[in-house]
Amino acid sequence: MRSRRRAMVVACFLAPSLLIFIVYRILPLVWNVVLSFEYWSPLHPATWAGLDNYQEMLQDDDVFWQALWNTLIFLGSQPIAIALALGIALLVNSDLKGATVYRTIVFLSYPLMTVAVAIIWHWMYNERGGLINYALRQLGIIHQPIAFLDSFAWALPSTIVANTWQVLGFFMIVLLSGLQNIPLHLYEAARVDGAPAWARFFRITLPMLRPSVFLCLVIGMLNSFSAFDLIYVMTNGGPGHATELLITYIYKQGFVSTRFDYAAALTVAQFAMLLLLTWIAHRAVGGNAGAIE
Amino acid sequence: MRWRRILLSRFFIVPAVLLLGTGAWNVYVDLHAHGLLEGRVVDPAGKPVAGATVILSVHDFVTQVEKARTRTDSAGRFRFDDNPSHLIQLQAQDGTEASPRVTIRLWFRGQDRVVQEPLRLAPSA
Amino acid sequence: MRKLWWRHAALIVISVIMLAPFYWLLKTAITSENIYEYPPHLLPVRPQLFNFVDVWYLIPFPRYLFNSIVVSLIAVAGNLVLNAMAGFALTLPFVGRRSVIVLLLSCTLIPFQATIIPAYLITAHLGLLNSYLGLALPLLSTIVCIFIFKASFDAVPRSLIDAARIDGLGEMRILLRVMLPLSTPAIATNIVLSFIWSWNNFLWPLIITRSQDMQTLPLGLARFLSYMEDTTDALYAFVVMVLAPGLLVFLMAQSAFMRGLTTGATKG
Repeated sequence: MRSRRRAMVVACFLAPSLLIFIVYRILPLVWNVVLSFEYWSPLHPATWAGLDNYQEMLQDDDVFWQALWNTLIFLGSQPIAIALALGIALLVNSDLKGATVYRTIVFLSYPLMTVAVAIIWHWMYNERGGLINYALRQLGIIHQPIAFLDSFAWALPSTIVANTWQVLGFFMIVLLSGLQNIPLHLYEAARVDGAPAWARFFRITLPMLRPSVFLCLVIGMLNSFSAFDLIYVMTNGGPGHATELLITYIYKQGFVSTRFDYAAALTVAQFAMLLLLTWIAHRAVGGNAGAIE
Repeated sequence: MRWRRILLSRFFIVPAVLLLGTGAWNVYVDLHAHGLLEGRVVDPAGKPVAGATVILSVHDFVTQVEKARTRTDSAGRFRFDDNPSHLIQLQAQDGTEASPRVTIRLWFRGQDRVVQEPLRLAPSA
Repeated sequence: MRKLWWRHAALIVISVIMLAPFYWLLKTAITSENIYEYPPHLLPVRPQLFNFVDVWYLIPFPRYLFNSIVVSLIAVAGNLVLNAMAGFALTLPFVGRRSVIVLLLSCTLIPFQATIIPAYLITAHLGLLNSYLGLALPLLSTIVCIFIFKASFDAVPRSLIDAARIDGLGEMRILLRVMLPLSTPAIATNIVLSFIWSWNNFLWPLIITRSQDMQTLPLGLARFLSYMEDTTDALYAFVVMVLAPGLLVFLMAQSAFMRGLTTGATKG
């Protein structure tokens, strides 16, 4: 009686949220998988396509491979960003006067609209009015301006720099909270035992940070999806497809070419890659999402 | 006493200040936005020119549209009464002489403005 | 202690690098020079604020602002209500609780961008394209925020809850009278996180809106850039005006924001 009433209450309380997640997360995922095996457009009924979409994706589509490669490079930059953030977190994690000010300054870029960040950095890279070319020329490093976002070689690294600028603060906060949760007595014991600073770092700090690092890695991987805003506004995948990520390609196939079925196959491919990389990260931090006994 | 904490918290003060500021600004704008635009036209020697034509054109980012014309009176002064925009250009013409285009940027649409610098005619080349 | 200045120096260099883009943006928005000529000046030349006037009148900025505010209000209100209820339900023992928690945790791995095509089709079926509700619907509840509430509710002493039950309070009353008043940090964090996510959302409005007067701020910004491209420096004034509300909210609520991210992080 009471437990049944409680079950009803629980159901009522959970229902709205669960409904949102089922309708907008789980159902779309399943729908994407189903759609990837069909030929479908809004005007024609669905017909079974078997693996045709995937075959086209893997064998006939050069843009897919380019986008995949770009996405992998993008993902590869995340650990570098995490390492930088760890350095900043270590610097800020002390009884430094004004540590909160530094923390806020580094974090300031994270809550900004990514569209705005893209425009800001687009301007920073501009050949005439941009700070980057100006600084490089003033310092004598280059003598002609480099059109960063128009060059095949520099476009992707440039967007990666912009993205790193934005997420650095988030990684720093996560790592900082991880650092502050490390019990101090471990350090004391190590110091008593005569361990030098670098040994303390590698034997105590890094292992205790495993859950935070795992979280940063997962967020970094999800970043390759949410980088859509940045790429779309900064370069729209150009020049050519030099900065095309899988997610921008999915958007173009789905909403510009209205090939919903093919875009669904691409989405499934990217999601599978995300799961695979998450699993690898999971193993890399020692299983169990890095949790510490 | 909980009310006092709420009233003094920054979540109340900041929006309140913003709202008050916006209200005060709107009042100021209403009092000063009649679209009045006055100025003078002088010849290359600095003497006022009567009967010169002054053209007012309204700008946005890509277009410019001529909106009104008027003539200067005997003292070389001109006046527009219904300037609708905040970004305008003025040019004076008298026969073959014309002044350079002067861009005027206002703080709000229809702001009353007396243009200090006279429009200086110069012989067109 | 002896290494203190070294840390300060490093942090100052880092701060300068992190703040440089902000400064460059601001300088570009208020300078009078021709920004498309090389070399640019490091300081604004004859600073003026007229670009902001241009943005206010010549771009439907007030309309975009209004749309963004409405959508964010719906999203924040929905988040508070739905997440508090769901977080509370997760603190009660019931059959299948663990499975629901695992289900929700695994949903966090499904990024929004992986759902855009079916989400668009579903919203079209519901007839909610180009509407405020359609814009806010996928954002009405977030899993991270549910767990923030759950953690906060778990910390409420059992004695209070038991006392309330003995007094015969229904579950909803328990939530409203006992749990929520003790969870103001969680509420603040929820508000800030859901506001930021709905305010900054770009891809969803891009797909859903069909007419210009339903566009939100990020969309308006991108649209302005796409048809004006590099021809006007009012773009940068537009960016400043777009960033101002978000930055203001963040600066006011930064402690709640950062606390929320870390608790969400460690619970996730």
